[in-house]
Amino acid sequence: MIKSFVISFRLKNAYRINSIIYSLKQLPFIKKILPNRLYQNKGIKIFGNIINILLEILNIFLGKFLYIWLMIFSLLGIYEGNSPDIFLHLFFFLTLAGAILNTYMFNPTKDKYYAMILMNMDAREYTLSNYFYAMIKTIVGFLPFTVLFGYLAGVPIWLSFVLPIFVCAVKMIMAAYNLRVYSKERKVINENNPPRSYWIFVGLFLLCAYGLPFLKITLPSVVVVIFFFLAILVGLLAFKSIWKFSYYRKVYKELLLNSPVYMTSENLKNQVVRENTLKQIEYDERFTSTKSGFAFFHDLFVKRHRKILTLAIKKQSIVLIFLFLFFVVVLLLNKGIHQQVNTILLTYLPYFVFIMYLLNRGQTVTQAMFMNCDHSMLTYRIYRTPKVILGIFKERLKTLITLNLIPASILGIALPVLLYITGGTDNPLNYLVLFISILAMSIFFSVHYLVMYYLLQPYNAMTEMKSSTYSIVQGLTYFVCYFMIDLQLPTMTFGLAISVFCILYSVISLFIAYRFAPKTFKLRV
Amino acid sequence: MQLVIEHLKKNFEKKEVLKDISFTFEQGKIYGLLGRNGAGKTTFFNCLNEDLEVDGGRFYLTDKEKIEDCDIGYVLSTPNVPEFLTGREFLKFFIDINQNRIKDLKSIDEYFELVQINEEDRDRLLKDYSHGMKNKMQMLVNIIMNPQVLLLDEPLTSFDVVVAEEMKNLLRDIKKDHIIIFSTHIMELALDLCDEIVLLNKGVLEYVDKRQKKGEPLKEKIIEALKGE
Repeated sequence: MIKSFVISFRLKNAYRINSIIYSLKQLPFIKKILPNRLYQNKGIKIFGNIINILLEILNIFLGKFLYIWLMIFSLLGIYEGNSPDIFLHLFFFLTLAGAILNTYMFNPTKDKYYAMILMNMDAREYTLSNYFYAMIKTIVGFLPFTVLFGYLAGVPIWLSFVLPIFVCAVKMIMAAYNLRVYSKERKVINENNPPRSYWIFVGLFLLCAYGLPFLKITLPSVVVVIFFFLAILVGLLAFKSIWKFSYYRKVYKELLLNSPVYMTSENLKNQVVRENTLKQIEYDERFTSTKSGFAFFHDLFVKRHRKILTLAIKKQSIVLIFLFLFFVVVLLLNKGIHQQVNTILLTYLPYFVFIMYLLNRGQTVTQAMFMNCDHSMLTYRIYRTPKVILGIFKERLKTLITLNLIPASILGIALPVLLYITGGTDNPLNYLVLFISILAMSIFFSVHYLVMYYLLQPYNAMTEMKSSTYSIVQGLTYFVCYFMIDLQLPTMTFGLAISVFCILYSVISLFIAYRFAPKTFKLRV
Repeated sequence: MQLVIEHLKKNFEKKEVLKDISFTFEQGKIYGLLGRNGAGKTTFFNCLNEDLEVDGGRFYLTDKEKIEDCDIGYVLSTPNVPEFLTGREFLKFFIDINQNRIKDLKSIDEYFELVQINEEDRDRLLKDYSHGMKNKMQMLVNIIMNPQVLLLDEPLTSFDVVVAEEMKNLLRDIKKDHIIIFSTHIMELALDLCDEIVLLNKGVLEYVDKRQKKGEPLKEKIIEALKGE
């Protein structure tokens, strides 16, 4: 069993390091410096192993620290009553909820797929050795923080030592129960997609954990302690049945190969993305087009992708209108909040960069454009001529901008109206700036996604994402927009600046796209 | 017309996949391109189709100053068609954007007849077409475009025997005005359909004379050549 564990650990390390090298080799410039033989380089492997060990240590401790600190310790102050009792009460119920959703054993992961399915390792040995390693990690990871935060909350030190063992025991009881379900009903529980009844229990435990203390009800410490020891005793029996269970291969075949929520290999993942995007195609005989050429082609694309284009925009617009009306009613009924809302509207415009980022359909639409259209069309050389590429680009740009402008206009009108209702502003230009900046942001995101798609076309013929640069740009876009949430600037200043930026960016990037897209818009080989 | 390849080279890092290939393909012939797995057949096609930049050498058509996009058609083994369009709409779009280039333009239904796609299938979404039907559409679009050079990467493997025979006949019919290079692993197919056999072996193209001398079986000769014996 130890041998199995060592092999699986080495396997995990090997593919993690290879994944890191592969990602590095996708980066522009860097990929030219790094040779293929890097995969054989011992130094890199050692470096990768060190990184892996550090990540493993982080994985053992960080999550547990955050969990106890954020979900238990930091909340003690909001409840009235005895701290140690509330600490133990929260810990007890959260552990029960956690054991249902986080069994480790029934989590379909890549590690398990590679080891048991691809490498055909002995399923029982693999599972047991890795499961017990995971349990040891749980104890070791929890211990410092149950002791530290338990001490700060006033929990007796000996009990703080028992807490991690209790977590382990409850997890094992849950795992043994799931194995029993398999033995009796041949049903494999996937912890990422648990049955409805499990969710009901999770909800109940969470309600007990956080709800009861509000009613000044907490489980008496004595009762909790009794439960702890009972659980540990039952946990020992669970350990026995986990040890004796002999159908691990069958369980994991079912879990890893047939699970609709679990996709391990890239091919499978791509297949699911592909199937999902194909589902977006909607055929109705009424959806025809009287246009010709590029306009015909694009017109049909839009009509057959109503779900992600027009219908999605319609839904967004309706929600925005309702929200707007809701705020109008609230503001008319409650004049006390006018001043605060007025201040928000005049200083929190940067926040709306993030909202516009969330509202924009560019990312979803460009993905569908590739999966359902360009993926096949780019294999035809005639589709790659500058005339065709730019002709279709123009049609797409028009549609994306127009569609995204609909919800943007609603927001652009809503904000000045809300500003007016809440007392208005000394400078009437603020109304105009609010409106224009929202529209400018909308145009910016439409242009940004389409231009990035045309300049960095990230997929290959197998619909696999092959561009780290594209992922980095996507990540950076998110990061910058998210960063804006915390910015507070006068609407006039920020609005003017962002409008000018958006217009300049759009003009320059469109110029670049027109210049380079005929060369860059092709399938990655 | 000839497709002349001179000293074509393609490397992937230090691995030389195509080493100094020089060869002349002639109009009116179907060339069977044979090679072992990983020999570089798809790379060779990708270079000719300009999906990949070559590292050396050049290729050109003898009656043209520069190869244009409409001069080369490439039919992949996996059919690629825009799944949100119906068969008819797909052909209409292609005809629309290439109207000036297409000679002897026929009606869309006539084109469907050419590859024997039934009437009831013509207005269905391509996503609901079978693998073989998608392949027919891919082939059809390339035939409509009428490129001078047609590269076919194992295009018949997904067809049933009847359709495969139809497609073979179609290729025989159109070969007069084209250079057709046909890559396959099925030697019987290559020997049956192709006028000339070319081996891609160890990065170079070798011509195999199909005319056999008595007592010298061609198949064995090709296998030995591919094995490097």
